[in-house]
Amino acid sequence: MSDILKIEPIDNWLKKNNWSFYNHQVETVKLSENGFDVLLVAPTGGGKTLAGFLPSLKDLINNKSEKNKLHTLYISPLKALTIDVHRNLTSPIEDQGLDISVETRTGDTSAYKKNRQKILPPHMLMTTPESLALLLSNKESKDYFKDLKYLIIDEIHVLVNSKRGDLLSLNLSRIQSISPDCKRIGLSATVKNKETVLKFLTSKNKAKILNVKETSFPKIEILETKTRVPWSGHMASYAIEDIYQKIQKSSLTIVFVNTRAQAELVFNKLWQENDNNLRIAIHHGSLEKEIRRKVENLMSLGKIDCVVATSSLDLGIDWGDVDLVIQIGSPKGISRFLQRIGRSNHKFDEPSNAILVPSNRFEYLECLSAIHSIQNKLLDETREKKGSLDVLAQHVLGVACSEPFQVDDLYNQVINAWPYRNLTKTKFLEVVEFVKNGGYSLKHYEQYSKIGLNKDKLYAINNKSVRNRYKLNVGTIVESYMLKVKLGNKTLGQVEEWFIQGLNEGDTFLFGGRVLEYQSISNNNIIVKSTSHTHPKIPSYAGGRLPLSTELSIEVRKLLSKKQFWKNFPNQINEWLKLQSKFSNLPSLNGLLVETFPRLMSGKKRFFLICYTFEGRNANQTLGFLMSKKMLRIGYKPISFVATDYALAIWSMNEVKDVNSVLNEDLMLDDLYEWLEETPLLKKNFRDAAIISGLIERSIPGQKKTGKQVLFNSDLIFNVLKKHEPKHLLLEVAREDSYRGLIDLDRLSEFLKRIEKNITHKKLDRISPLAVPLILEINRQTIDKSEMEEYFLEELENEMLSEVGLN
Amino acid sequence: MKVINFNNHKFQISKEGILFWFDKQIAIIADLHLEKGSSFGPSGQFLPPYDSEETLKKILNTIKDHKIKKIILLGDTFHDKNAISRMSKKVTILFRSLIEKYEVIFILGNHESKFEIGQINFLNEYVINDIHFIHEALQTSVFQISGHFHPVATVKSNIKKITAKCLLHTNNHIILPSFGQYTGGLNITNPVLKPFLNNESKIYMLTKKSIYKFTNKEIEI
Repeated sequence: MSDILKIEPIDNWLKKNNWSFYNHQVETVKLSENGFDVLLVAPTGGGKTLAGFLPSLKDLINNKSEKNKLHTLYISPLKALTIDVHRNLTSPIEDQGLDISVETRTGDTSAYKKNRQKILPPHMLMTTPESLALLLSNKESKDYFKDLKYLIIDEIHVLVNSKRGDLLSLNLSRIQSISPDCKRIGLSATVKNKETVLKFLTSKNKAKILNVKETSFPKIEILETKTRVPWSGHMASYAIEDIYQKIQKSSLTIVFVNTRAQAELVFNKLWQENDNNLRIAIHHGSLEKEIRRKVENLMSLGKIDCVVATSSLDLGIDWGDVDLVIQIGSPKGISRFLQRIGRSNHKFDEPSNAILVPSNRFEYLECLSAIHSIQNKLLDETREKKGSLDVLAQHVLGVACSEPFQVDDLYNQVINAWPYRNLTKTKFLEVVEFVKNGGYSLKHYEQYSKIGLNKDKLYAINNKSVRNRYKLNVGTIVESYMLKVKLGNKTLGQVEEWFIQGLNEGDTFLFGGRVLEYQSISNNNIIVKSTSHTHPKIPSYAGGRLPLSTELSIEVRKLLSKKQFWKNFPNQINEWLKLQSKFSNLPSLNGLLVETFPRLMSGKKRFFLICYTFEGRNANQTLGFLMSKKMLRIGYKPISFVATDYALAIWSMNEVKDVNSVLNEDLMLDDLYEWLEETPLLKKNFRDAAIISGLIERSIPGQKKTGKQVLFNSDLIFNVLKKHEPKHLLLEVAREDSYRGLIDLDRLSEFLKRIEKNITHKKLDRISPLAVPLILEINRQTIDKSEMEEYFLEELENEMLSEVGLN
Repeated sequence: MKVINFNNHKFQISKEGILFWFDKQIAIIADLHLEKGSSFGPSGQFLPPYDSEETLKKILNTIKDHKIKKIILLGDTFHDKNAISRMSKKVTILFRSLIEKYEVIFILGNHESKFEIGQINFLNEYVINDIHFIHEALQTSVFQISGHFHPVATVKSNIKKITAKCLLHTNNHIILPSFGQYTGGLNITNPVLKPFLNNESKIYMLTKKSIYKFTNKEIEI
């Protein structure tokens, strides 16, 4: 088959290794040569990346491209992936002595190398959406990209329908205006909405989807353990011994967890179990990049037996021969789980091996549902999102940094980007106004405008410092403020500021797989020292929790409602559910089970109300906010609530006697708008939008500002803006993001309609078996911050007054 | 309002953060930081330019119902030396009406420069009945009412932590919270505030609805 391609050196390289081309690789080359943009949809391990590069390699080999002209651009959502792909591609090139230069360019690339790349570009450049945006904001960008022939976008499915995708899409459209004939190849994992991904990839009509069917099915099982699955928690400590044994039997295992806290803890526990001195490593996003690189290298050299990792190892990186994937906790989404499973046996036609380890009882049901979904080829659906205006604002400034633009030209370029196809001219002009001077009706900042019309009536940046500041603020990911963890002179990684605020001097915590003692903060560094303690006082820090996908939620509900499925459950789960049905009721498929019971909390009698909705955390959270609001008005004095993926628990000072009064459809419509305006979520989204759009800078040169202060200030700005310009662009963005982030409101509305007249209220005298995990759930959300503060402060003050005998 | 006895005089703090001395018909306010929002303009950060308007309106609204003749502004009234020149028309009118209606004493803050802001006469300190009105508290035994630190305090319940602006009263010191709309806060656990805190300290936390009094022990350190 290989001779069809006529790429002699590559053919030779394949022969030498006893390999041959896959069909889809040949197809990709053919389609591309015939002028098609191609979306290659294939499971992991199908030689997808090579397929993406083949058309470009062939062109470079057969048509001897000129030196120092950028020929191929490869974009991936992960820095690590660019490095991995770089390495894999270099091997045939070096082996065959080809005169093709391949380089990476990411946030980690040195300033020297970046400068050199600017003047002397390689043939092939591998980069990220953010680094691409930066490259395109250079004055010379037009010249730089004008000879571009191929554009490869890896893992494109993770970028669609996100703000990062918006940014990339705008820049793709820009590249198209610079080099209209450049061919595009998108590489995607199996997804439900392929057509959308293709539209995102290219606006050309000459475009095709190449769908590679899976030839093998993963072998997935739930870990059988000697000990019982715990009621709550997310750490799966109960299963460590059994996990360790599985690791021992495999040659290279990745243990995937969902949060960094889990990663630290599981790593620590595995080492406590490690009597056979297995080589176990840890990999997560907070660790210093040198540490991560080191682990990745050891993996590919086969010098490691197991890696405990978060999503930092999710995507298509091929670090060595992984033969087992263990997922701790529910994977929370079918597609994500498939991606993770794909890490094992990275070969196309061999089945992957995966073991699921539920960390609590509800997760057990969830894991069963995940396996069920994969067997039935159900995939998660991502809802389409329209292009965000804060990202557009960032892009408009970026364009102005590279060269003066004409408003109509840029508008046409923007609506050529798939997420922005329906953007009106009026909205676009509003964004340009915003970039210019904040977009206030009070023209206060005219004199400081960032962009303005030049003598040719084109919009240009007003001074060079605008470009420098733009460069510091590129990107759509707004992280919490991070502090560096320093052990002596060595930087171990970063943690969020809020984590450290809860620590006292001498407290010990887990980080990077070791127990550290907190000493002090100096110059935004957290100074720690090593300690001989093996049990840290502060278990670890949360962060990076994933929401449950809609499809999985539905599957769990089905599973629970049909008793015939239960025979496959282990005894302990079966008993739990049976006990529930005896003591209270079981949630039905279409109705809603509500339980109420009194319970002491911190020595005070509280009334709990539990709704078993199984509608996912976001929906439950929204419902929680709305119900609390209603309860507040009726006088039940709600204190707080916990929302999980499965249920909602609200506790109050007074007993809710009439459940129907707080759970009817009109409660949404009445309160939703008003409620949204007051949520911390809206404020958080406003802060993100303010940073992405450039209203607030990520870092102000020469000014030390802590993340906490930025948040505080953005809240103040938010309040003032809401009062004076309620229709401001950024408030619009924040509202839209909030509605989307919360849930589709339609779903909640559907839910309320469905359960109307179908609510079973169980009035209990104590906690039910099903409620136990919820009450144990520690994550607490406040209902209404200001109300909450008043209650609490009054209570606390009264308490203290009586303590000193004044009340 | 809560009553604070200070050097045998009766003061009252409002939940908005204004300290009243009704016997003398005086209102005392700290750290307005007028035009802080617009101060970021030259660097291309266009914050909503409405903070001064909010701040000044809040002062006028809070004191209009009381018999007040004099206002003492404890420094950092202006965020920077060009603040006045950046004021919008509306803000200029509000500011004028404040200084025309009341006798306003301007204490000099570290954000201000004595000779460069408009026609305003800044004082380093102002003394009435042995009480010194200054910008930043000094570690001496004279009775002082000051601002500068923008104190906030955190109390912790078993549910959550709450942080709010606060007034500090310790022996011969009253330190006022910042009043300006865009001003942030410094937690009283910060070492620079240590000299002004002891077991006798009283901390008045200000919320939208009310004022809550705590002692130093009850505050999260």
